[in-house]
Amino acid sequence: MNHHDHTPRLLAPAARVAGLPRRTFLAGLAAAASVPLLAACGGSKGSGGSGSAAAELRAYSWSAYDDPKVLADFAAKYGPKVLVDSYSSNEEMIAKLAAAKGTSGYDIVIPTGVFVPQMAANGLLQELDHAKLPNLANLDKAFQNQEWDQGNKYTVTKYWGTTGFVYDTRVVKRDLKTWDDFFDAAQKEASGKTSLVDDPGEICAMLCFARGWHQSTTDKAQLDQIETFLVDTLARHIAAFDSSPGSSAIPQGTHALMHCWNGDARRGILASGDQDRWKWVLPGPKTNLWMDNWAIVKGSANADAAHELINYVLDPAVAVKQVDFVGYGSGVTGSEEEAKKLKLGLIDMIFPSAEQLTTMYTGVINEGQERRMAIVNKMKAKAGA
Amino acid sequence: MSSDRRGPRAAWRAVPSGLLATPALAWIALFFVAPVGLVFWYSLGRKPGLYQTHANDVLTLDRYREALGDTFLTSFAGTLRIGLAGTALCLAIGLPFAYWLAVKVRPHRRFVVLALVLVPFWTNFLIRTIGWQVVLSPEGFASRAMQSLGLIDTPFSMLFTRGAVLLGVVYNYLPMMILPLYVALDRVDGSLREASKDLGANRWRTALQVTLPLARPGIAAGLLLVFIPLMGDYVTAAVLGGARGNMVGQLVASQFQQAQNWALGSAMAVVLIVVIALTILATAAVGAACTWLLTHRRRRELAGIAEGSPA
Amino acid sequence: MSSSATRHAVTSARRAGAGDGTGSVELRSVRKSFGGVTVVQDLDLSVNPGEFLSLLGPSGCGKTTTLRMLAGFEQPDSGEVLISGAAVQHLPPHKRDVNTVFQSYALFPHMTVAANIAYGLRQRRGIDRAEIRSRVSEALDMVQMTRFADRKPNRLSGGQQQRVALARALVNRPSVLLLDEPLAALDRKLREDMQVELKLLQSRLGTTFVFVTHDQEEALSMSDRVAVMLNGRIEQIADPYTVYERPATAFVAGFIGQQNFFDGTVADGGRTIEIDGGTVLLAEPVTTPGSGAAAVRVAVRPEAVAVAEAAPDESDGSANALPGTVAAVSLLGDVLQYVVHADAGHELLARVPRRQAGRLAEGARVRCSWAPSDVHVFPAEATPRAPIGSAK
Ligand SMILES: Nc1ncnc2c1ncn2[C@@H]1O[C@H](COP(=O)(O)OP(=O)(O)OP(=O)(O)O)[C@@H](O)[C@H]1O
Ligand SMILES: [Mg+2]
Repeated sequence: MNHHDHTPRLLAPAARVAGLPRRTFLAGLAAAASVPLLAACGGSKGSGGSGSAAAELRAYSWSAYDDPKVLADFAAKYGPKVLVDSYSSNEEMIAKLAAAKGTSGYDIVIPTGVFVPQMAANGLLQELDHAKLPNLANLDKAFQNQEWDQGNKYTVTKYWGTTGFVYDTRVVKRDLKTWDDFFDAAQKEASGKTSLVDDPGEICAMLCFARGWHQSTTDKAQLDQIETFLVDTLARHIAAFDSSPGSSAIPQGTHALMHCWNGDARRGILASGDQDRWKWVLPGPKTNLWMDNWAIVKGSANADAAHELINYVLDPAVAVKQVDFVGYGSGVTGSEEEAKKLKLGLIDMIFPSAEQLTTMYTGVINEGQERRMAIVNKMKAKAGA
Repeated sequence: MSSDRRGPRAAWRAVPSGLLATPALAWIALFFVAPVGLVFWYSLGRKPGLYQTHANDVLTLDRYREALGDTFLTSFAGTLRIGLAGTALCLAIGLPFAYWLAVKVRPHRRFVVLALVLVPFWTNFLIRTIGWQVVLSPEGFASRAMQSLGLIDTPFSMLFTRGAVLLGVVYNYLPMMILPLYVALDRVDGSLREASKDLGANRWRTALQVTLPLARPGIAAGLLLVFIPLMGDYVTAAVLGGARGNMVGQLVASQFQQAQNWALGSAMAVVLIVVIALTILATAAVGAACTWLLTHRRRRELAGIAEGSPA
Repeated sequence: MSSSATRHAVTSARRAGAGDGTGSVELRSVRKSFGGVTVVQDLDLSVNPGEFLSLLGPSGCGKTTTLRMLAGFEQPDSGEVLISGAAVQHLPPHKRDVNTVFQSYALFPHMTVAANIAYGLRQRRGIDRAEIRSRVSEALDMVQMTRFADRKPNRLSGGQQQRVALARALVNRPSVLLLDEPLAALDRKLREDMQVELKLLQSRLGTTFVFVTHDQEEALSMSDRVAVMLNGRIEQIADPYTVYERPATAFVAGFIGQQNFFDGTVADGGRTIEIDGGTVLLAEPVTTPGSGAAAVRVAVRPEAVAVAEAAPDESDGSANALPGTVAAVSLLGDVLQYVVHADAGHELLARVPRRQAGRLAEGARVRCSWAPSDVHVFPAEATPRAPIGSAK
């Protein structure tokens, strides 16, 4: 709980997070057809409704990133139905908004923090009206006023999360603690039963965390070493590139060792028939930290309703439902206590300890992106050969 | 037999034949030539910055040099292996099935059988592939069933193996093979098969010498209908094969989806189109050469009879 | 159809057909039904080696089915099929020493004429390439198609295709050749030419031919014997002369050539038959089962009917004669054909040699008469005239 005391510095270390698909591209495809996630009767507006006239809100988001019940309650109370399309990378979302030049039709997007300055500079985001967000006060100070968005001009933190791995204790019968342990197990007990998140930044960052390099390094020698290690050493032990082992691989026992995000891991373990079989590790010495944020698209015709929605989910009672659904922290003050009160499963996976928080830092967006993509593609070619 | 000696009907003579093809040509122009042209145009450009996908301010072939790297060639080799094996497997399964359907099944039952063949198409392609993932996983149906039958004692996983990839490929593409084969075989006059048997050929020789050669256009269509989409499909392979199902299409898609480098992605797409076309041409050439060699001696033994020259 | 090649083919086929029943065909109590409908019933048929036998009958009577049982494309439900003395009903087509000329020719469209003809030889073991070549060349020569050896079948005329089909079957020197209406698709002139060629070929080769047709002229002109079929049974099997002159049933009588039929009753102890408007006198008395006035059907061939001019008021009432009026006259080459409306209501057909008598005009009063020896009597329940027979 007391990690909040430390987070301001931790969450704002100069940098920006690399784009992280929360789900696989495949899962995105399955949900692609612009499913109206929610079609609750937009009946009588609740008393608290500020009277926005919008019939619907269009959100462009990571898939399965909102509790459908929360969106239904919102529609019941305030009127607008929330229609969600999903993307699998920040780049994809930005490219679409940039190409549409304000005519995308979306009202809300969920960019990862480090992408916000560029989006703002390119005129893709609309400034927030804090008068319409009274619940912003509920957001922990640690999650306000980040370096990439001073004064929360454009964004409000939605979730924050980290990267680690889950392993099957029936296969790996020793304690794994670090990234080096992960590599070791992947080449031994879990060889051919290991999966990696399908994200170049995350895959390349693993060795950086282990070696103490910056996770977004642009140093050629380091990138060369990363390539050699991934392609020549690790690739042949990898069974799959799966950004969401929580949705099926963990419940179905498909792999023994899975690189994954904490919320996804929690969801998978909760869905597993035998929760004790799986062990979640936040590996040392260092690991990742990222924040995804609410933002309103420039040109949105329903800005009032969008503010309403953001304000709504900043209510601690609502926030805790969202947290339980995705398994990521929301930054709303008291949500951890609320979660404990409600006895949500595997709370430790949502809220790492203060000690663990000190090992996390965010990546940056830089010219190393292309190289990382090339390295991972080469690794995939090798793994498939 | 001598069916098409009649000239076109007089009424049709009045219509310029080009006119009839106009809708199709317009369609092809709009939905095939234009997109491919655009992709080709992009492939000559570059990705100017982190937030732009492509620009054609400088025209360059550099993207092609990047595209034709090790990664592409390794991925392509793997893809080609899956493409060829999958197509061959579909043919091996589809041909006897289509033959049975066209020759042995009573006409009024064929419709039912064809409908059953198409059952998999009634659901979304991704969903049915993911369905196989569930079936094949260690906690899945296949493993449980085999465990409860005592065939195995530890959970087995076929998932993320080459076998699973081929299984998914056959499952998703078999109808594409069966339908043209069925149509082609159905069109082979049954009396030709009878004539062959009457002349002393058993049913294998009849199939090899009469039925299959006459169904060749259908076989070619089936091979193309399976092979081409399969070479571009990276979903089936990735869902069931995981890392073993790495396909070159994934590489192209990642340039568009993740790297947002449309220039490089387009160059890869163009290379892929060209390489697939070359593969098909090469296969066709090899096939034609083999047929020619196999029938060469037979042709020679009958050559020149018309001129009355001795052997 | 000349050359040494033909002679070679002739001698080898004769050799094959020598003695020992090679080339004989026999069906014993063969039955075949499709989905409960009996198509061939209790068929007995015996064909001698080297014989030209026609299966003649109306459409749907089971000719093709019978032929297909010989070839092996259909299995009889019961009964035996023997070829060259050996039971073959369980052998598949490719193991039977017969070849078929299909009605549609069934030439392989992807092979040249020469390759089509070589097909049967290539299925066999122990025929070397040189022999295949020489036999194909011989067969092409035999049907005068050498010039077309390298063509594909779809670039041949119907008659040419028919010759190729014939050569493709005969090149195998089968003991028995089965032909299913091989000439049906040809125009009349070509068909008549081919009938002659086919008959000559058959008598040279000495191969047993089982020839299916529904054209009675074709059957009569080509065959050693004709089997007339109706509803899956053989009504009569005999040489063409007998079938024509002494039809076994009213159906055969009507199907082969044309007939004047009269329905009547037996009188005078079987020596005469009473018909409307007259009496038919018989050469030999008929015996009818049971007693009393048995109903019968009488047939008289048109060429047996003499037509003479008669006075308008003449009505002599004598036997084997009917008065009437000429309703139509037509010239059929060497004969004149009269359609006469008898006063009693019958419509008579008469054919007389053109030279024999002066031409009578339409509307002329005539007297039609015939000799007792030209009268055929059949039981009345016999099938009425088949449409195909009368259409001729
Ligand atoms: N495969 C079959 N299934 C069902 N009925 C059949 C089949 N083959 C023939 N028949 C029926 O059997 C009967 C005899 O057919 P068949 O072909 O032997 O006649 P056909 O004497 O050759 O007639 P045609 O002169 O018209 O060729 C017909 O009524 C036909 O409908
Ligand atoms: Mg017939």
